Amino acid sequence: MFQQIPYNVAVIDRDYNIVEANSNFKDYFGSWQNRKCYTVYKKLNEPCENCPTKEVFKKGNPVVADAVGIDQHGRKTHYVAHVLPIKIKKGGKVEYAMEMTRTVTETDRWQQEYQILFDRVPCYITVIGEDYRIVRANEAFRENFGDVLGQHCYKVYKRRNTKCPNCPAEKTFKDGKVHQSSQQGIAKNGQKIHYAVSTSALMRGSDSVAHVIEISNDVTAMKRLEEKVIDAERLGAVGQTVAGLAHSIKNILMGLEGGKYIVSLGLNKNDKGMINQGWEMLERNFDKTTSLVKDFLSFSKGRLPELEMVNPGDLVLEIVDLYKDIAAQSGIELKSVTEKNVKSAPLDPAGIHTCLTNLVSNAIDACLMSKQKGTEVLITVSESRDKLIFEVKDNGSGIDYEIKKKIFTTFFTTKGGGGTGLGLLTTRKIVQEHGGKILVISQKGKGAKFRMEFPRKRLMALYKEAKV
Amino acid sequence: MPEIIKKKILVVDDEKDVREFLSAALVEAGFDVILAEDGNIALEEVKKQIPDLISLDLVMPKKSGAKLHRELSKHKEWSKIPIIIVTGHARDDLGKSDLKELTMSGPGVYLEKPVKPNNYIAAIKKILNMATTDEEKETAETVHLQSDLKNIIDNADPETLKKLKEMINKTK
Repeated sequence: MFQQIPYNVAVIDRDYNIVEANSNFKDYFGSWQNRKCYTVYKKLNEPCENCPTKEVFKKGNPVVADAVGIDQHGRKTHYVAHVLPIKIKKGGKVEYAMEMTRTVTETDRWQQEYQILFDRVPCYITVIGEDYRIVRANEAFRENFGDVLGQHCYKVYKRRNTKCPNCPAEKTFKDGKVHQSSQQGIAKNGQKIHYAVSTSALMRGSDSVAHVIEISNDVTAMKRLEEKVIDAERLGAVGQTVAGLAHSIKNILMGLEGGKYIVSLGLNKNDKGMINQGWEMLERNFDKTTSLVKDFLSFSKGRLPELEMVNPGDLVLEIVDLYKDIAAQSGIELKSVTEKNVKSAPLDPAGIHTCLTNLVSNAIDACLMSKQKGTEVLITVSESRDKLIFEVKDNGSGIDYEIKKKIFTTFFTTKGGGGTGLGLLTTRKIVQEHGGKILVISQKGKGAKFRMEFPRKRLMALYKEAKV
Repeated sequence: MPEIIKKKILVVDDEKDVREFLSAALVEAGFDVILAEDGNIALEEVKKQIPDLISLDLVMPKKSGAKLHRELSKHKEWSKIPIIIVTGHARDDLGKSDLKELTMSGPGVYLEKPVKPNNYIAAIKKILNMATTDEEKETAETVHLQSDLKNIIDNADPETLKKLKEMINKTK
């Protein structure tokens, strides 16, 4: 049995002579007969400092100790020594000590590798206790957030005094499952950072979570790139808009030229009617210039939506209130339907109001241009596949295919003197700022449907980002 | 004394102020004016009475200037009505291709908005062979030359453009 023990076992007398050893011992440390234990284990000429065997002889109790020795090939070896007292006579003194050593060199190497991985991997790793205090943090995390052991994670990540809403670590503590989310935090230099976080459980036994590991990837650079792309698209649209702006300016200049000409004619002929006609033309076109400049400046500014939880149906009712009389005067029926399953959503009320105003106003104009009777404009709010959807539908004149191609990309109006041409571009911009998209479905002569889709996940993500 | 029959000009433009302006200039120059705010209404007016000339905007709702011209071209009588194009879309995506189509196959003269009243009237009088004073003739000639040159430049290849530039620089 002595030979079968899967450890290196040696029996040592009070003079530190190895009197017996198993084959594992010999294979590991080499020959032992007539040699002192400290010579065989450590290639020393005298007893080790803090010798566990000496302790056992002195106190008669088992001792466990970590030690570093040298194997028979001259390599450093780490081992754990379990040293047991052997008494020949019951109640007598300890005559021998049996030392069982288990090498931990392999384990030690794994630990070193793990430590390197933990520290050097290019993401943030923290281990959080049930009280949300950080018990371990890797090098990347410490570099970005500072020395944080013992501090609450919400204090370190976000400089908050209370737990974050929708905390993924809290969810993992509750259910032991992996949770992921996008978060925004504040680095130690005060800069905002965006990160994608994944939380996993470190179990205590099989039924409770002792700690949570949080692994976060810094996506700040990607987020900035995303913002730059959106900005570039908007500026591209602005650039196209500037090109198309020339059209509106030319018409305004025509109006000013015309007003000046007619006033001049009127003055020459002493014709008050002509003077008034010309003056009114000048006034109209000065007003158009003001509107154009305001609309364009507003459009060209990039802006984050100011989100608040609103009832989408209420926003639609406001628009119906605003336009129902105008529509009725022209024999157009304006109505709205909000489906029962539509819940509150984080939206910029002013922005959505602008979008709906533009779409409803266009729909009413399309009905006015149509020759048919019984025209109507219908606004619906619905939910589908986790998206909030607004639709404005009319059975008016419809949109020519050529115009539909250009409708969101060109500074364009078919409304003659009314409209600056920025309505649909502005609507598209606002929808995109909400993380949504706008579609148009129409055929000439068969009405049109504009559909704004807002993915709820995206709305919530924007809402949370704004809250941080 | 025989009654002077005034020439009838059909002004087609979706902008009310543009219609009023061009109408005032035409009336002052001794023309009768009919106004239309889109291609459909213009067609109705042509059916009622063939005008002596159509002053035509390009980009309009319901029926564009180019679409109106295509319809007029199919009709024996209507295809002969002279047309002058007055547009703000000569160089952008909305009007460029229509203008090219019209200047290549149809009316060669176009004026870019904003127009000066005397240039407009002079161009129309030239088309109708009505230019009287020397000044009017010169103005009309200049307007037509400018229009022709713009067409040439818009359709020229880079080599031709280089030669044109050299020629113009030599005259300075």
